[in-house]
Amino acid sequence: MNMPYRLNRFVIADPGKCIGCRVCEIACAAVHEKEQTPLTVGNMQNPVQPRLYLVRSVQGSVPIQCRHCEDAPCAAACPVLAITQKEDVIFVDESLCVGCKTCMLACPFGALKLVPVFENGLPVEQNLPLHPESQHQGGSTAGEKEEYKQLHVASKCDRCSGLAEPACVANCPQQALKVIQPERHLTMRMHEAALSLAAVARKYAS
Amino acid sequence: MKTPIITIDQELCTGCGRCREICPVGAISGMPDTPHEVDSTRCILCGQCVQICSGYDSANETFATSRVERLKQRGMLPTVKEPLFAAHYRGDINAVVAALQQPDTFTIVQCAPAVRVAIGEEFGMPYGTLTPGKLSAALHALGFNRVYDTNFAADLTIMEEGAELINRIKNKGRLPMFTSCCPGWVKYVEDQHDDLLDHLSSCKSPQQMAGTLFKTYGAKLDGIDPAHVFSVAVMPCTCKKFECERPEMNSSGYQDVDLVITTRELAQLIKHCGIDFTSLPDEAFDNPLGCYTGAGNIFGATGGVMEAALRSACEMLTGTPLPSLELEYVRGEEGIRRATICHEGVELKVTIVAGLQYVGSVLEQVRRGEADFHFLEVMCCPMGCVSGGGQPKILLPAQRLEAHAGRKAGLYSHDKSLTVRKSHENPQIKKLYENFLGEPLGHEAHHLLHTDHQQNRRAV
Repeated sequence: MNMPYRLNRFVIADPGKCIGCRVCEIACAAVHEKEQTPLTVGNMQNPVQPRLYLVRSVQGSVPIQCRHCEDAPCAAACPVLAITQKEDVIFVDESLCVGCKTCMLACPFGALKLVPVFENGLPVEQNLPLHPESQHQGGSTAGEKEEYKQLHVASKCDRCSGLAEPACVANCPQQALKVIQPERHLTMRMHEAALSLAAVARKYAS
Repeated sequence: MKTPIITIDQELCTGCGRCREICPVGAISGMPDTPHEVDSTRCILCGQCVQICSGYDSANETFATSRVERLKQRGMLPTVKEPLFAAHYRGDINAVVAALQQPDTFTIVQCAPAVRVAIGEEFGMPYGTLTPGKLSAALHALGFNRVYDTNFAADLTIMEEGAELINRIKNKGRLPMFTSCCPGWVKYVEDQHDDLLDHLSSCKSPQQMAGTLFKTYGAKLDGIDPAHVFSVAVMPCTCKKFECERPEMNSSGYQDVDLVITTRELAQLIKHCGIDFTSLPDEAFDNPLGCYTGAGNIFGATGGVMEAALRSACEMLTGTPLPSLELEYVRGEEGIRRATICHEGVELKVTIVAGLQYVGSVLEQVRRGEADFHFLEVMCCPMGCVSGGGQPKILLPAQRLEAHAGRKAGLYSHDKSLTVRKSHENPQIKKLYENFLGEPLGHEAHHLLHTDHQQNRRAV
């Protein structure tokens, strides 16, 4: 079924439909949990870390996520080649990421974020110890001295490539999100334009 | 004054309005994109808003209240790691922890049927996994002195409610009779349809019957002073927190049920105490008040109370048991279901409502005197208690129906696997009547197991 797409598919939200409920964020975070996908809130032992971000403003709300750019600037900017084109997804290999944040700067949409890493509900520490003067009380265990900063890596939408449909699209209660297949979208638009032209022509011909 | 049971956190609410849409009584209001509020005078505390809410403490936004503070405000354990949502209920777990640590307190716990088909989900098990044995083992491990069961009291409810129905039919009492197990439904009738109050069964809910018995019969069996009993109920329901605090719920001489925690709160406590739920060996509920039949167990699904009642009432009325115990015609998930049961020359007409938003037309029918049925079961929540406001909160909306169906299937498969499936055949119920209560609707039963909803109305 994996037909080769010439342009990368991506998910986009319709601000006219979005009600700002954050279901997309929850669904995204749930399916991206490292262990099995949790079914209930009680299984969410790590902080919610979505890969799309609801932006709320006076004009309304809408989630922002990766467009899977052609010749993606984040990938071009990554000094350790952690971001690659994988089929029609721009993919971050978090294990290679050094946290330089260049991708974050390069992304024109703010869709790339450096996120703290957790495992089984506990923060994962980076290798580099904190300078003794920066060490402070109140690490993950009360009373313990925090000697290491938490590890942070680049994170972005992978369009749920392992699933039949991205979790945000499948779970949006308003059907505000959809997967855009650029070629098909363009064909559809042209057909719509042609039909409306034909209608105009008919109207004036009669 | 205690904190309200259901509230919306003004900091976390994004104003999406989904709670406003799902609220069956129109108690939630707010403008789009602005925080919503619950009108506590209309709210029936069903907790469906808690279930649907998806506005959480996102790390992308800064909030004035810290997570530690928020957990404290909500009465939650400090070890809880799950995300916190805007619509939430008052947590009561800290009082349970305190009671369990009191050496001179005798702690008794009961669990509603729907808890045993949902709590496993909080530990990674599939939807509807049936775990009565692990549930009982976990409650024993937490240190409760007696692990009893609401299912026992559900069987008792059938004895009393069945007798009441037969009595109303035979003596031309007020019909149709309404079930009174669902506290949200009872509150709704009291708040908004008090002209129909005398249709409500006078039976207390199973939770309250159990609580009354724990501090009377149960305390006597254990030879303890009921003043030292602390009685906790684990419920799939948020309105049960309200029900146990009703001032008239004290027929034992004390507050009958001291505290209600939800399925989720119990799961959080089990995690807090480091108990590995999934690997617990099965343990039984304690006798005698933990002994139950299949009929008591299906109370957790819509149509279940009706089915349990019919299994016993038809037999009590005619002296002959129903030919089959699978009463498929009262099961189902439509908002309003009607059925007629013809058995040995007796005809019983029943109506079942699942989801309070569907009850309006049925009540109008009753009010106009056009209701031709004898018995009405109403559950506020869409599939009955399995989908209650205190049940594990389903993460992906696309899986809601699957989850509810799984829990329901769990209840019915448990019913099918039990040898005794009719409430009146529960051996401990028979013993209870012989040794303590006398007969259904008798003097002692009336005093301990029934309530006057008319009086409640004035008292609240």
